[in-house]
Amino acid sequence: MPEVIKEVPPIWTTGWTDILNTGTWRSAVPVHKKRPAPCHKACPVEGEIPVWTQLVKAEKYQEAWLALAANNPFPAVTGRVCHHPCEGSCNRGEYDGAVAINALEHYVGDLALQEGWSLPKPEKEREQRVLVIGAGPAGLSCAYRLRLEGYQVTVFEEKPEAGGVLRYGIPQYRLPKAVLAGEIKRLQELGISIETGRRFESYELEQYEQEYDAVFLAIGAGKAKSLPQFPSDKRVLNGLEFLARANQNDTIALGQQVVVVGGGSVAMDVARTARRLGSYVTVLALEDGEHLPAQTDEVTGALEEGIAITGGAMVQEVQSSERGLGLACVKVNLDPEAPPGVLKPVVVPGSEFSLIADQVILAIGQDPETDVWNHLLPVKQTLFQIKPDFSTDRPGVFAGGDDASAERYVSSAIGQGKMAARSIARYLTGGSGSVDEEIVSLEEPVPFKDINTFYFPSQSRDYKGTTAAEQRVRDFSEVKTGFSSDQALAQAERCFSCGSCIECDNCFYFCPDMAVVKDATLEEHYRILDQYCKGCGSCVEECPRGAVVLKEESR
Amino acid sequence: MGYYNIQEEKVFNSGHAACPGCSEALAIRYIINTLGPDSIGVVPPSCIAIISGPQPLSSMRMPVYQTTLEASAASATGISRALKAKGNDHTNVVVIAGDGGTYDIGFQSLSSAAERNEDFIYVCLDNEGYMNTGAQKSSSTPYLAYTTSTPSGKPTPKKNLAEIMAAHRIPYVATATTGYPEDLARKVARAKELKGTGLRFILVLTPCLDGWGVADHAGPKTSRLAVETGVFPLYEVEYGERYTLNFGSKGTPVQAYLSQQSRYKHLRPEQIQEIQSQVDANWERLRERFSVP
Ligand SMILES: Cc1cc2nc3c(=O)[nH]c(=O)nc-3n(C[C@H](O)[C@H](O)[C@H](O)COP(=O)(O)OP(=O)(O)OC[C@H]3O[C@@H](n4cnc5c(N)ncnc54)[C@H](O)[C@@H]3O)c2cc1C
Ligand SMILES: Cc1ncc(C[n+]2csc(CCOP(=O)(O)OP(=O)(O)O)c2C)c(N)n1
Ligand code: SF4
Ligand code: SF4
Ligand SMILES: [Mg+2]
Repeated sequence: MPEVIKEVPPIWTTGWTDILNTGTWRSAVPVHKKRPAPCHKACPVEGEIPVWTQLVKAEKYQEAWLALAANNPFPAVTGRVCHHPCEGSCNRGEYDGAVAINALEHYVGDLALQEGWSLPKPEKEREQRVLVIGAGPAGLSCAYRLRLEGYQVTVFEEKPEAGGVLRYGIPQYRLPKAVLAGEIKRLQELGISIETGRRFESYELEQYEQEYDAVFLAIGAGKAKSLPQFPSDKRVLNGLEFLARANQNDTIALGQQVVVVGGGSVAMDVARTARRLGSYVTVLALEDGEHLPAQTDEVTGALEEGIAITGGAMVQEVQSSERGLGLACVKVNLDPEAPPGVLKPVVVPGSEFSLIADQVILAIGQDPETDVWNHLLPVKQTLFQIKPDFSTDRPGVFAGGDDASAERYVSSAIGQGKMAARSIARYLTGGSGSVDEEIVSLEEPVPFKDINTFYFPSQSRDYKGTTAAEQRVRDFSEVKTGFSSDQALAQAERCFSCGSCIECDNCFYFCPDMAVVKDATLEEHYRILDQYCKGCGSCVEECPRGAVVLKEESR
Repeated sequence: MGYYNIQEEKVFNSGHAACPGCSEALAIRYIINTLGPDSIGVVPPSCIAIISGPQPLSSMRMPVYQTTLEASAASATGISRALKAKGNDHTNVVVIAGDGGTYDIGFQSLSSAAERNEDFIYVCLDNEGYMNTGAQKSSSTPYLAYTTSTPSGKPTPKKNLAEIMAAHRIPYVATATTGYPEDLARKVARAKELKGTGLRFILVLTPCLDGWGVADHAGPKTSRLAVETGVFPLYEVEYGERYTLNFGSKGTPVQAYLSQQSRYKHLRPEQIQEIQSQVDANWERLRERFSVP
């Protein structure tokens, strides 16, 4: 940077050392720069977590929500159901427990609904029209991003209400319908038109390609898998259908004994829903009880609610009789040599046992209904084949979410919808514009060793509250209670703000050469005086959050 | 949203000749920028003299008298009395001297000035050795630390100068260090405020990066470890009686402090244990002096 270098006077006189150029001593120079936080890099919606937690800390809640909603229109939903990989990679996890990011998101999301805050309106309107098929998190997230850019967006949804799995899959005790409805209403107020009860048939594609400038397919994975040993019988239900009915408050007579087959999160939702409808529930899973694919939290919840989980078990035969369905089962071990993702059960000889069930519910996975599309679009193992930019090989047709990915998380669907919108916008503007800049750079996230923990006195992490199990099974009230405002503040306080400068001035205070100066006109807030900086790196070390790095210099 | 709030007057200049990352330079920043330009400095031979020079340039925007290594307190006495004779009751007189010039060579003049309760501030920048001349031991060098004149480690413990000065019952004695810049600046401000009461003495631990064998960026961190392990507690004493603790031991094992510095790299585990016992005993003894709040 061009500093005014003061000249050494030609004659012997007295003066100050600030005419000297101690900057020539150094071999490296500090640079203030925003670096990605590990939570941010782990977040499937690319949420700028350190930014909004700082705003919560400053009690600027509406700004925090806007920063949150910039990447995710469903914070109150994801604050409840996201698998939160952010917390797993949070630097504070290596210190005294990860920041309660998910609970904070829940808090801010609920506050926005309570206060009735609305999303920012598009800055300009564009004429181009985009059709989104499927009003699940992927479709709605894509619609949101495109609408923000001013595109005219219509969403077709076959079900009577929007939300996809959020509406018809995830039970109310985890995600109250009013919360979802509130966040969807806000999207509609932005001018997104959602046509419910409108199933889109594959043969309509050509016609709609003419009427719309681009199409995004986000039909989810709505077809439940089945098992050949189970007869077609009204006493055998699939989990998706069962949850959809429960989510519409249908009366479902299950009988006393319900057996749920499957060990994933859907199986837990099914079991806990059946328990709330008054049945005794047993879950049978191929995986052993310690290694169920379901999230630990959900397994614990199910066990507390009196659900029996039998791991390492397989149903071999089903006898139907007046008394119920007789399940001939056997214990199994999973072959550890099997390729990843493939379950290869090995029967334990002599371990046969049997169960009687009034109702069996299968929750062994679901696939997208892509077979009707495969003459129009490439499909591989039930998934739409897409390029990294979410385009299919049909110009203007994009796909994302559960129908194109095996990730199967709400936040992944939201993230994919967002990234697809970015590509659609690029497509619609002829390759130039984009919905927003690529925020997640290729740069490595700030590692824990770059955090100066002296500035962060140990403070324990807090968790959401949980209603007692006896109370829980009585109805579908929400199980988890969100943070109070005091809890939220205390927990936001714990965020290191990895890689994001908060203008604490430590870099300024610890320079022995006064070579760090504040400069409000700069985005990075500070300037390094080239003439004086000796390159000691004290500012780098004393920055509590790794927002200054040392860059080698060659002369 | 800062951790520190320090008001500075621009007295200390950039372009000085301290090593990159030097703790003494950082300490000088908070000492003279707190005292302000209406001050006269007295500096004996030491790294501080180098930092304040090189002649004819000065890094300090105030008059500085470079005296002899023995005579800092005597020189300051003369300046302070001359100002008084002239009716000047506002100019601060401040000695900034090293540990060699304070614990050893300048000790008699300091002790007698304290006994007479002369009216000036004396700041000792303690880097635990004669660093400017090549890292020889001083009576401030800690037990078992390597210096070029104690190649197998110093056989005797560090002299406890803060307690010696407190025993003179002067108005103000404080310990400070660069890892706690606001605490340091506050203590300097307090000493300035007490002008007219007599001698005010501040002992500042300033890790010498080269002499101690730590990285250029590690001065403040090393200084904080000295405090958190109880090696160098930060406290104040008024008139040799009223003790106040500012930052004390957090129970961090001394190993954490020692292992950062190559001057201790020859230590055997039992020697580290011995240092730990001494630190614990010193900390316990000091703790008894703090008035119950
Ligand atoms: C029971 C259950 C619980 C889950 N719990 C969690 C959880 O707690 N956390 C988590 O992260 N993930 C969870 N998941 C996974 C997550 O819900 C999905 O990955 C996510 O919903 C996928 O979003 P999507 O938009 O791709 O699909 P969906 O949510 O399935 O939405 C697709 C939408 O498209 C509509 N549609 C389909 N075909 C057509 C058509 N031809 N015309 C018009 N509309 C059509 C569907 O009706 C549906 O509304 C769960 C999944 C299930 C099944
Ligand atoms: C009487 C006397 N003896 C020796 C010296 C040489 N000398 C100059 S600076 C110095 C080291 C002073 O050490 P210290 O006071 O600890 O200051 P530091 O260099 O560590 O900052 C010595 C021994 C001298 N100037 N005068
Ligand atoms: S401390 Fe904050 S910024 Fe750093 S990883 Fe955790 S949540 Fe993210
Ligand atoms: S030390 Fe503080 S002010 Fe400096 S870069 Fe880091 S966060 Fe920003
Ligand atoms: Mg010294």
